[in-house]
Amino acid sequence: MVAVKHAVEVHSHASQPPGNTGVEVGFAREFQSGDDLAPLLAYRENFGFVPNLLRAQSSLPRLIEAHVALETIALVREKALPRKLKEEILLVLIAAQRDSYSATFRSMVLRSLGVPESRIRQLIVDFRSAGFSPSEIALVDFGLKLCQFGPWVCQEDIEELRAHGFDDDSILEASLVAGLTSYICATSSGLKPQPDGEIMVLPAVPIGPSEAALRRIPSHSTHGSSKKESYVHAVYQSPETFKAFLLLKDSHGFIPNFFRAQTAWPDVAEAEAVTITTVLGPEDVLSRVQKECILLAVSAANLNSYCVAAHCNLLRGMGLSPEEGDQVAVDHHQANLTDADKALVDFTLKINSRPNEVGSEDTDHLRKLGFTQKQILEAVAVTAVNNFANTHQMGLGIMPDFEPPVLFEQKKVHLFEVETRHTEWRSTVSEVRVTIDDPDAGLVADSQGGRLEAFEELVRRHSQSVYRTLMAILGNPEEAKDAMQDALLSAFKHIGGFQGRSKFSTWLVSIARNTALQRLRERKNVESLDEGGCDGDEDFRPRQIRAWQDNPEQTHSKEEIRQLVERGIMGLPAKYRVVIMLRDIEQRSTDDVAEQLGLSVPALKARLLRGRLMLRESLAPHFAPGGGRAAV
Amino acid sequence: MITCEEFFAEFGDYLENRVPPEVRRELELHVSQCRACHVLYDSTRKTVKIVTDSSAFDLPQDVADSITDSVMAKIRKQSI
Repeated sequence: MVAVKHAVEVHSHASQPPGNTGVEVGFAREFQSGDDLAPLLAYRENFGFVPNLLRAQSSLPRLIEAHVALETIALVREKALPRKLKEEILLVLIAAQRDSYSATFRSMVLRSLGVPESRIRQLIVDFRSAGFSPSEIALVDFGLKLCQFGPWVCQEDIEELRAHGFDDDSILEASLVAGLTSYICATSSGLKPQPDGEIMVLPAVPIGPSEAALRRIPSHSTHGSSKKESYVHAVYQSPETFKAFLLLKDSHGFIPNFFRAQTAWPDVAEAEAVTITTVLGPEDVLSRVQKECILLAVSAANLNSYCVAAHCNLLRGMGLSPEEGDQVAVDHHQANLTDADKALVDFTLKINSRPNEVGSEDTDHLRKLGFTQKQILEAVAVTAVNNFANTHQMGLGIMPDFEPPVLFEQKKVHLFEVETRHTEWRSTVSEVRVTIDDPDAGLVADSQGGRLEAFEELVRRHSQSVYRTLMAILGNPEEAKDAMQDALLSAFKHIGGFQGRSKFSTWLVSIARNTALQRLRERKNVESLDEGGCDGDEDFRPRQIRAWQDNPEQTHSKEEIRQLVERGIMGLPAKYRVVIMLRDIEQRSTDDVAEQLGLSVPALKARLLRGRLMLRESLAPHFAPGGGRAAV
Repeated sequence: MITCEEFFAEFGDYLENRVPPEVRRELELHVSQCRACHVLYDSTRKTVKIVTDSSAFDLPQDVADSITDSVMAKIRKQSI
């Protein structure tokens, strides 16, 4: 009952001004509706009052819905850690981010839960002497490290928590609270709401994780490819029925590992999916491409390989070339964006790395460039969602779905090497110059310097790949040989402009692909390489269900098999032919082939599976029992 | 046990060895108990191996050399 009484008092204090139309509660001047929105009512029930942080988002109620879903699942759901402890940790983390508005607002929530003023003050000034147990201090340290030094969180940090008796449930909840901190602070920084009560004065000396926590740093091998699983255990969930998977499949076109790693907690995964898809899905305010550019640039600033790889792929799926996506990650000012969109990304990066410097001049500048209040509001929400995802992904150590761009990874490794741990690493990221690690780099440099022998060596190294790409798209060996000359001459003509943003071999295969596509366009009856082709195979399902022989390759000669395979591949539509050619015959990685063909990895994988199944159908009569030489 | 539809939803990643352990366990269990999906998995895996080992569309070395020589001759002629 004490909590309820406090809640009422806090609400009456905080409701100055109440939810009247047109009241300025921050940058969001178009504030329209009152506190009777359903998510706000739900929020008041759980947290005692409606903060200006939420009111400031009233012109886009779905953002409030997203915010409330995340905050409720992170704080109100009590499975491992008690609600009050989570609120206290949240206050410590927010104070450490030097966010006075949010510290004031969370202090009010703590008062409504019956926490005395003296303890609230102690949490802000020096949480280590606030009466926390050693285990609770370990949790706070984990959260502080996650919020302030996310890329340096490693397996040893999780082992430290387990040594204190925390299980997967607790680790998940601690990571969620840290993620929520990132979400709230980004929203507060971007919207600058008016304080809900008497502003909390934060200590001059910023709070950070313990020295012991800072000494635990990932080895290159642990943030490279050797780690295969996240820090917490997952369970199988059906992609046909699991709500979070269904939401993500609609919104992203694939199920990110971010959600696969949290299958043990269906309610958490679902709430996160609601938050993410509610902010990112609709295109009525900002376009999805604009949102993805923000997500990519801010994730890159946060050194988050997982999210950089995911958003590069999503942008590719929206029609941007791999180079364009990579450029946004490395330096969006050099990317093919409008000046207005570059300014929008600048704004979100400022929210991320210099939150206390964000001011009304930033939003005024965006308005002058033509952005509406709702667009600015949504950009803030996208940044908040991004920072939640970045923080929570690092907290759970979730493995990337795709390979991040090589340029970005090298930049990141460089940062780890130069010991920026105790400095403002977020602002140093764009100042590092990098070069890609390509076995052809020396020959490329010599070729660019005019040494023809070097270019000749490059051609000899990659002639098979060029031929197979052309053959796959054109479907005719003589035309492929003819086009090979055009492709190689084109490569020579343009090699001076090759900047090493991808491997040379990837660039060369892309030239071969473009050469072949140009020839296709010049033909009549063009065979489409696009997904919406008219070959009617999108719902392809296997028909041959007879088992194959144990060692099918032993029943035919090598030459017979080669002919069968070539005939089978040539019988496929071009868009499948080229994927099989590069992935299975050239044996390039899925990520490389996707980049070479300008496809997202999920689109490439779907095409590869269909191609393989179609090829299987054509080979089945020869390799199932009874199939034999006569069939060749 | 998962259904055949659920198996098929993960099938592409399973072939590529890109499924997480908890999913792999379910897929392996399904394959061991569903004959149709076992045949599909086994024959598609063999298809990939046959294609990978086939040396299909190899451009004979002499043809590759001849095309390279021709291209380089054109480049050298332009460079003079």
